[in-house]
Formats: sequence, C-alpha cells, structure tokens
Amino acid sequence: MRWIKRLLLVITTVFFATTITFLLIRMMPGDPVENMAISMVHDQGIDYESAYRSAKAMLNYDPDVPILTQYTKYLSGLMKGNLGQSLIYKRDVKQIIGEALPWTLFVLSISLLLSFFIGIFLGMYIAWKRTTILDPILSAYTAIVGSIPEFVIAFLLIVFFSVKLKWFPSRGAYSSSVKPGFNMPYFLDVLNHAVLPITAYVLGGIGRWALNMKANAVSVLGEDYIVSARARGLREKRIITRYVGRNAMLPLVTNLAISFGMIFGGSPLIERLFVYPGVGYYMSQSISSRDYILMQGIFLMITVTVVLANVVAEILYSILDPRIRMEG
Amino acid sequence: MAEKILQLKDISVEFNLRNGVLKAVDTASIDVYKGEILGIVGESGSGKSTLASTILNIVSPPGRISSGKILYKGKDILKMSAEELRHYRWQNVSMVFQAAQNSMNPVLKIKEQILETVAAHQDIPEKEVIDKARRLLEYVRLDAGQVLDSYPHQLSGGMKQRTIIAMSLLLDPDIIILDEPTTALDVITQAYIMDILKNIHEELGITMIFLSHDVSIVGKVADRIAVMYASNIVEIGTVDDIFYNSRHPYTRGLINAAPSLIDDVTKRRAIPGAPPNMMALPAGCRFSPRCSLCLEGHCRGSEQGKLTEVEQGHFTTCTKFERMEA
Amino acid sequence: MKSLKSFFNVIVRNKRACFGFIILVIFLLIAMIGTSIIPLPKETNYAERLQPPSLSHPLGTDYAGRDTLAQFVHGSKDVIILSFLTAIFTMVLAFIVGGISGAAGGKTDAILMFITNVILTVPSFPIMMVLSMLIKVTNPVTFALILSMWSWGGLARAIRSQILSFKRRDYIEASRILGLSLGHIVFKDMLPNMASYIAYHFIMIMKSAVTASVGLMVLGLAPFSSTHWGMMLNLAMGSTAALYGSSAIYYFLTPVIGIMLFQIGCLFFASGMDEAFNPRLRD
Repeated sequence: MRWIKRLLLVITTVFFATTITFLLIRMMPGDPVENMAISMVHDQGIDYESAYRSAKAMLNYDPDVPILTQYTKYLSGLMKGNLGQSLIYKRDVKQIIGEALPWTLFVLSISLLLSFFIGIFLGMYIAWKRTTILDPILSAYTAIVGSIPEFVIAFLLIVFFSVKLKWFPSRGAYSSSVKPGFNMPYFLDVLNHAVLPITAYVLGGIGRWALNMKANAVSVLGEDYIVSARARGLREKRIITRYVGRNAMLPLVTNLAISFGMIFGGSPLIERLFVYPGVGYYMSQSISSRDYILMQGIFLMITVTVVLANVVAEILYSILDPRIRMEG
Repeated sequence: MAEKILQLKDISVEFNLRNGVLKAVDTASIDVYKGEILGIVGESGSGKSTLASTILNIVSPPGRISSGKILYKGKDILKMSAEELRHYRWQNVSMVFQAAQNSMNPVLKIKEQILETVAAHQDIPEKEVIDKARRLLEYVRLDAGQVLDSYPHQLSGGMKQRTIIAMSLLLDPDIIILDEPTTALDVITQAYIMDILKNIHEELGITMIFLSHDVSIVGKVADRIAVMYASNIVEIGTVDDIFYNSRHPYTRGLINAAPSLIDDVTKRRAIPGAPPNMMALPAGCRFSPRCSLCLEGHCRGSEQGKLTEVEQGHFTTCTKFERMEA
Repeated sequence: MKSLKSFFNVIVRNKRACFGFIILVIFLLIAMIGTSIIPLPKETNYAERLQPPSLSHPLGTDYAGRDTLAQFVHGSKDVIILSFLTAIFTMVLAFIVGGISGAAGGKTDAILMFITNVILTVPSFPIMMVLSMLIKVTNPVTFALILSMWSWGGLARAIRSQILSFKRRDYIEASRILGLSLGHIVFKDMLPNMASYIAYHFIMIMKSAVTASVGLMVLGLAPFSSTHWGMMLNLAMGSTAALYGSSAIYYFLTPVIGIMLFQIGCLFFASGMDEAFNPRLRD
C-alpha cells in the first residue's frame, strides 16, 4: 500500500515540476524564431516578416500557437517517449542528452566517489585520533576552498596546469586527433582531459565529506556502545569499522545517493569553462539560445533523476538502519 | 581470610578541561575480596562510575588515570600491554552498564554482538557459543530465540538489561562490575533483576562490584559498602557497619535520607546544602560545608581526610568520628 | 536589550564567531563609508588598462583603465545589500510556509509540503538561470527575489519540524495549560530558542547568495550592477585574455579574494555562533 502512495507522490512531483519548468521556460523573453529572423535580416537583408516565416519553417516551431496547445503537444510527445527536436542543434533531444550524459556522469561520478571515499577516511581518521594537527587544517582548508567559487578553482587550475605548465588540456572531452573507440590511446586521452575537471570538483568535495564524516564519527564516539565495545575487549579495527564506521556513515550514505541524483544535471559553469560536452554545457547553451525544447528535455531529465535519487536514498537508509526498517 | 582479588591503590583520574583540571577520582584506595559483593554508593558526580571504569581501564578521554595502581591477582593492569589488557577485559572482569544507555550497537543483532565478543578472545566454534548464549539468556529468564535475532531497539529496558547481564557472563569472568544496573527501570523490574543478580552470585560465586546512588538497593545485596563523596572514598565497612554504626556524617546523612516502608517519613532528613563544585573544592574536608558535625561547631573541617581504620575492616575519613553518636 | 547584550557576550567569547564578525563588520564599514569617500570611476582610460598596483591605483586598473579598488569598494555595497535582501526574503518565505505548515497540520500541511518538495526537487541553479532571463534584473530587490524564490525549501522543512517538535515539548504544554496566549507562546517560549537558529541560517543564506549571484553573473545573467564582485569577475574572466600572464591577475584576484573573505566571514560567524549557542557541539 505504501508503495502505491510513494509512486503516486513521485509521479505527481515530476508532473508538477515539469509543468512549472515548462511555464517558466516559455515565459522567457525572446524566442529562437525571433533570434533567427533577426540574424537572417542582418545577413540576408530580407524583410523581417519573410525572415520570420522562414525561421518558423526551418525551426519547425511556431511561437504564436497558444501555450495550452504547446503544452498538450509536449505532454503527448512525452508519453510517446519523444522529447522533441533541439531548435539549434537540429537533432533529437534524446540523442543530444544521450551523448552528453555519459560525459557528465563519467567525470562527476569519479569525482563524487573520490571525494566521498577520501573524505570519509579523512573524517574518520581525524575523529579517531582525537588530537591531530589535521583537524584545524581540515577546517581551515574546507573554509577557504569552500568559499572560493568552484569555477574560480577550475579557472585557476586551467591557468596554472594547462596554460602555464601545459600538463593537461583545457578544453573538450578528448582531442580531435584521437579516434574514439575501444582503444587505449582514446582512453588515455579521455582520462587526460578529465583530470582537471575532476580535480576542480574533488578539491571542494573532499572538505565537505570529511567534515561531515568527522562530525558524525565524533558524535558516535561519544556513545555508550563504543565504551561498552572496548570493555568487551573487541579489537580496535573492529570497533572502528563495525561500530563507529557503520553508525557514522549512515546519514552520509543518503547524502551520497542524493548527490548522485544531482550529478545528472552537471555543472553548467564548470562544463562551460572546460567546454566539456556534458549536460551542463548543453543546458547553458540552450538557455542562452532560447532552445526551449532542449531546455525542457534537460530539465525533465534532471527532475526525474533527482526524484528517483531521493527515493533510492530513502530506501537505502531503511535497509541500512534497522531502527527504521522495522517501522513498516 | 578471603583472598584479595582486586586492589586499587591511590587511584586518581583527571580530566583536562578548558577551564582547569577536574579530578574525578582523588587518590582512591580499596580492596575487593574474592566472592564478595562490594557496593559503592555515591551521588551523581561523586566519581563512582569513573572509578569503576578504571578497573577495566576504559576511562573516556579527555579523562585519564593520572596516578595509582590497580592490581588484579597481584598484577598491575595499568602496566599491561595492549593485548594483555584486551584479553583481561571481559575474560577476567566484565561490566554491566545501565540499560537506559544504549550499550549495544544499534545496527547489529544481539547474536552477532555475542559472537564477536567471544571471537575477540577465544576460538570457539559458533554453535558452541550460541548454545552457551542460549543457556545464559534463559538463565536471566529471557526467550533466547527471540532475543538472539533481535536488534537492541526491539528490546524493552528490562530485556536489554538482562541481555547485558547475560553477555557479561559469556567468558566466565572472575569479577562483574554493575553500574547502576537497576536505575531507570520500574520497581518491579528492579526487583526482578536484583533477584537474578543474587542468583548469579550464589550459584556462580562471582565477585561483584555494585554501584548505585541508592543506598537502600545496595544495602540489600552487598557484603561491604564503600561510600564516595566528591571523588573521595569517605567510608568503607560491612553492611552492618555502614547502616547501624556509620562513622562518617555523609553516610549518616544518606541513610537518614532514604525512605523506608516501615519508618516514619517525618524522620527523614535531607542533607543540607548543595553538591560540591568540582572545579572549586574547599580546602580540607570536602563535606564540611554540609556536615552536621561541622555546622554544630564540633569540627573545623580543615583536614583532608585519609582513610583511618575505626575497627577491623571499617574505615573512615572523618577526623571527628568519635564525636558521632552511635 | 538584555538579551542583545548577552548575545554579544557569547560572540566575543567565541574566537571563531568573533573573527567572522569582525570581517563582516569591516566589509560593512567599507560599504557604508568607503562608498562616500571613494567615487565610482566612470570614465574609461584605455591607455591605463590592466595596470598593476601603484600609488594612484592600489589594486590596479580594469580592462577599461578604471580603478579596481574603487569598483571593489562599491561592489561591496552591492554584495552586502543583495545578500541581506536575499536572506530576508528567503527566511520570510521559509517561515511562512514552514510555520503555517507546522502549526496548521492536516491538509494545509500536506499541500504546502508537497509544494516544498517540488521546489526542492528541481535543482535551483538552473531555475535561477531561467528566472534571471525571464525577469529583467535591474536592481538588487528583483535579483534577491529571484535568488530566494527557489531557495526556501530546505529551511521551510526544517522550520516545520522544529515547530512540530515544539508543539510537543513540555514547556509548551505547560504554557498552554496555564492558559497563556498563542502570542505569548510564540514570542516568549519559541522564538528565543530559535534565535540562534535564525541567526545562523540568516548568515549562511547570505553566504550562499554570494555564491549563487556570482555564478549567475559569470554566466552573463542578471547584470544589475557593474561593480558587484560577480560582475567584476565576469569581466575579468571574459574580456582579459591577457589574464594568462600579466598584471591582469590583480583585476581578477580582487573580486575573488573579496568573495572568499566575505564567505569565510559568514562561515566563521555562523558556525562560531552555532558552537557558542550549542555547547554540546564543542569537543
């Protein structure tokens, strides 16, 4: 019974979110037809009306159709799994997302996993060894790095490692000189291009996860069952993993699931900076060129994944924490 | 003369806090005899729990044992290696914490926690361990099948307490320390648990150290009682000594304050004054601000007591104990 | 007034809060006094573009030859006003939604929480990107509205659960039994307990407002002021290819360091306060 209720909630949330984004997007001033018409007038010297008509035909999009009709057309398309055609790229939105998503997922999941694991090790270590110089260092590091905007870090990385030291490339997912496919040079090249973006994300991420874990671990360490575990003569290693670790990590696992949901949206700023062809890049492109269809498609995908990630997070938590599992 | 199984000699525990050093236990010395039940009575903050935690050397940081020796069968546990200490814990001395506290890992089943406790010390096949666990759980009058497969939060307070008691017997220890085992439980469960503990003592002959703030509970089971106040042990004696012939005003105060079913409640007297500020203790006798002897002008209260023997086996730190009426 | 004094006492005693507080106060002073002392440079002087620091230009010049320090000072005013407004709007929205939801319960609660969930689900930065193109941003009030419109979700939920837990707390029961009015309960029982909570979140929202506004401006959206540090950063990153080398670095670093210090100030002040008011968080 609870499943049905949960499913209904998911569907309605997605539905409302989609509607809201549809409305917001359509309310933006300027539209691609107008943009195209204006540039046609400039380039070809024709009058505005004819340019407008041509643009409409070329883009296959009529902004004068009432919004309600546009909306229903959109929804019916969705039901068939059709996300529409991008106005500026002239390809199926599904296709564009399908190509962009793997890049974003590639870079961001590596970043997330790296930050997470390094972070929890660090946090745990600092909590366990009560007085270590690492504690204030971690706090200071997170405060400073957390206060510099992520894209500035990315920018500085590019300036330093790419331009000055020439160690890593500064744009793209792979070099044009390399042939994509299942071959080693391609993989290495892809990795090469991914190093700086991943570093940009990880530098900030480590601090946050570590601090979080440290806080949790410190509070778990103060619990009675830790003292009692020591009194029972359990080995340190066991106490660290099964007693402190498992209990301290519980809330973090749900954070991790939610973070996974968020990576589907990519980061528009950083991907733009690195000209990395991920979802964030296309999102920022679609916004600046008023490509509604593409925008909608991306927003929809992000919404669905975030909602799903939240559901997964809840389920995960109830599996991992027996106290919650029981309250059916 | 019974053998001394545990000896605490001049134990002090210090906590380094931001605004000073807190001495939770101040040069405490006491002997524990094999097979006896020793009760330690004191109000919250008197240091009794900290003292108990020194016996297993599990004082929680930032506290640490700053001086003294703890001899278990003649061997100083404070000088043991990490491995020796680890095996000493639970195999030689085990501890029963308060049930209200969560002394069990919330994400592991009772069965797993029992298995890992034994596995940390001895290499016994799983089946044997479970068999023994079942017997112990039944001994404490629990449904073994149900408890073993449960998580701690699924058990009631009384059930948790009994489970912890059963776990403390797992490795057949010589000594069990019980820290307020019945506080936070209702009276009926309290009596039930006390009954179980008495059985354990009679049938298994295990030495017990019983901590409580409730002197009447301790009086029901203990052979000897030590009284703590403001991190000092102020009196040690047999149950009769303490209850009928106490030689320290604080002990008298405690006993007079405890209500009884048969006595006239108007005869109850609370101890005047407030508990001491551990960061700003008076010089000399720490009980003097509240001591009836002192307040009536019979004592200047300026000497910090050392335990002196009044009669055989009966010690007190009060320097004016002769002044006390019998 | 007495509580204000004790509030300051707590802050002074906590090193972190003190440090953060001082930083923020310095920025406030720069914004208030600095803007009247140092005029906003209007004229361009391309001959002097991207100069390194000198006596007449302590932080150098920008891509159009204007004094960087002057722009930074005026920008601090923009930043503070914007963050402050955003914090106010966000908190008001969060309190209204969370408060009504928690107090009313039932259907109202369900509906409001559903809306909150939708707000929380759609990631806020993309929405803010769309909103800032939707609504022409010419002043800090509009911008603050945009920034707060999608950010109140988490706080609303937290406030709601605080209220729910308050409803059950003993001293509320006691007040109710004593017949004290709802007003008394809200203002004398609940609010003082929430004071530190409110202060903490207010400052943290200010911090994230800076992050979000800078992010949007670097994307070229919401250009409501040319001196807001986000805008300075946008111009520094965009129009100065010379960054890959020379003295343009000062023009770039100035807003960066400003942003950094401001956010650190917010962070330390807020977390120091939290530490001070919730002593169990201390080691």
